[in-house]
Amino acid sequence: MTRPQPLLTLSRRYLTTIVTPRTSTTTTSRLLRAPQPQPARPHLRITTTTPLIRTYHSIHYPSPTHPYTNSQTTILSAALHHVPTHGFTRDALTLGARDAGFLDVSVQLFPRAEFDLILFYLASRRGLLRSKVENDNLLQSAQPQSVDDKIKVLIMERLRMNAEVREKWVDALAIMSLGENIPMSLSELHALSDDILSLAGDVSVDASWYSKRLAIAAVYASSEFMMTRDTSAGLRDTEEFLGRRLADARAVGDKLSGVKQCLGFMGTTAVGLGRSWGLKI
Amino acid sequence: MSSRTVWRSFQSHARRRLIVPETPYRCFSCTQLVQEPPKPSHDDRMTHFGFQNVPESQKESLVGAVFSSVASSYDVMNDMMSLGIHRLWKDHFVRSLNPGSALPSRDHDTAGRGWNILDIAGGTGDIAFRMLDHATNINHDLETRVTIADINPDMLAEGQKRSVQTPYYNTNRLSFMQGNAQELPSIPDNSVDLYTVVFGIRNFTDKQAALEEAFRVLKPGGVFACMEFSKVDNSLFNAVYKQWSFSAIPMIGQLVAGDRDSYQYLVESIEKFPSQEEFRGMIQKAGFMIPGRGYENLTGGIAAIHKGIKPLSRA
Repeated sequence: MTRPQPLLTLSRRYLTTIVTPRTSTTTTSRLLRAPQPQPARPHLRITTTTPLIRTYHSIHYPSPTHPYTNSQTTILSAALHHVPTHGFTRDALTLGARDAGFLDVSVQLFPRAEFDLILFYLASRRGLLRSKVENDNLLQSAQPQSVDDKIKVLIMERLRMNAEVREKWVDALAIMSLGENIPMSLSELHALSDDILSLAGDVSVDASWYSKRLAIAAVYASSEFMMTRDTSAGLRDTEEFLGRRLADARAVGDKLSGVKQCLGFMGTTAVGLGRSWGLKI
Repeated sequence: MSSRTVWRSFQSHARRRLIVPETPYRCFSCTQLVQEPPKPSHDDRMTHFGFQNVPESQKESLVGAVFSSVASSYDVMNDMMSLGIHRLWKDHFVRSLNPGSALPSRDHDTAGRGWNILDIAGGTGDIAFRMLDHATNINHDLETRVTIADINPDMLAEGQKRSVQTPYYNTNRLSFMQGNAQELPSIPDNSVDLYTVVFGIRNFTDKQAALEEAFRVLKPGGVFACMEFSKVDNSLFNAVYKQWSFSAIPMIGQLVAGDRDSYQYLVESIEKFPSQEEFRGMIQKAGFMIPGRGYENLTGGIAAIHKGIKPLSRA
């Protein structure tokens, strides 16, 4: 009789997870079979953070500092003021250099020229989003929000930062999509979706860590593109577009998990059937 | 069969040259005095001239003699040795610097109109004319001016002869001066926007002194830009390149310019020049800020563009 021993430990493990407030996907679906006092929320899978849980992001390691020198930061910050009029161009950089007391020739500090300005813009807006959450309590509200709601708030907040430069943003996207710039652009997009998810309090440590970041990145990039054509007051169209895309991503995710569950069930059935016929599996 | 013997003699000849230079220096266009093998005195610091060691005081005249003898055939030889690639490098160098102000200067700008460019060791005007063309045609800047400085009067004369063909001849946008890059007393402190030295710094006796002089004459925020032969990073390509430079280039020099030794010096001085990282360290030591990685390799590292920016002085 060797079989009952692993089964016993298995059930004990499940017991402990049920006791803790944190629940994983599988336990949630098990729990759902039992009558629940709590009203069924649309997305039980994603739950709010508690300080007890270890997140993927360690608080002991501060996020890496940006790679710019003081002079570069001075020129780039000054250049950002010229972006709404001159776009993400060498002209904006040159004017920024002049404002900072440098010469026209000093833009040689930026080997990638316009793309350096775009990267600095992206990185600084990302930092601004983080500081808005950490210092200005962007996500504080009376009623508790789900992670999905927080993600929507954060993406919308980030998009609003682009409002000022939205006519010039197509040029920036064009520069970012040049062959040699694609790797850096993608890593910046990943950093943004990573920040959004960690700020929203997502704590997944399984394969969904990747799929969620991919989904957020795709939703953000398409909304950003949509925004360049948005002329509605207060970016209402973009906000609606974003809501639809998030709903789509959620629907796809639900479908996928449904299919996964179904396949899993069929697999277990097949194995059980095989065993009942006496196969050694 | 005959080609093989030619190739073997060619190789063995190149190898022998590498190890024992029979005559240290031989040049038809210079005086007997320079041809005397240098007698190093004990109190004189030594520097390298190609693979030989010579006293620092002599290097200047030796290099001078080399360039005097190659001045007239300079362009033809460059085309032959680099298979025309040097033109692409120079075009890329000028385009990346983007000389000339595309934007009209504003009233409160202190920089003044146009750029003040100093082209060191630019005797034949290769870079200077390209920069003026770029400023005029691309940035529509008619104020940017270039001063060509060279230690060698023969190279300067060649550049002056060529400048007649350009629209900048006899205008205040182009001027020539003879001078040593290690000491430029006629150029005031903080007066230059862009300091370029293209395939020249290799021949300087004291490179660090030249870098410090560049730092002195540049305005705060001004840029030091240098294109020079460097080290090839791929070992396979390096083998091919070394074979070409030590065997073919002196031979081309002999056939085309009738001057083997000057081109032998050229390839040896390329070999002696510090690597990309070492030279970047020298630029940093002179006080410059380094943008990004600090250098850009061209054609696998045969040449490299180095840049440095003089920081604003914090008073």
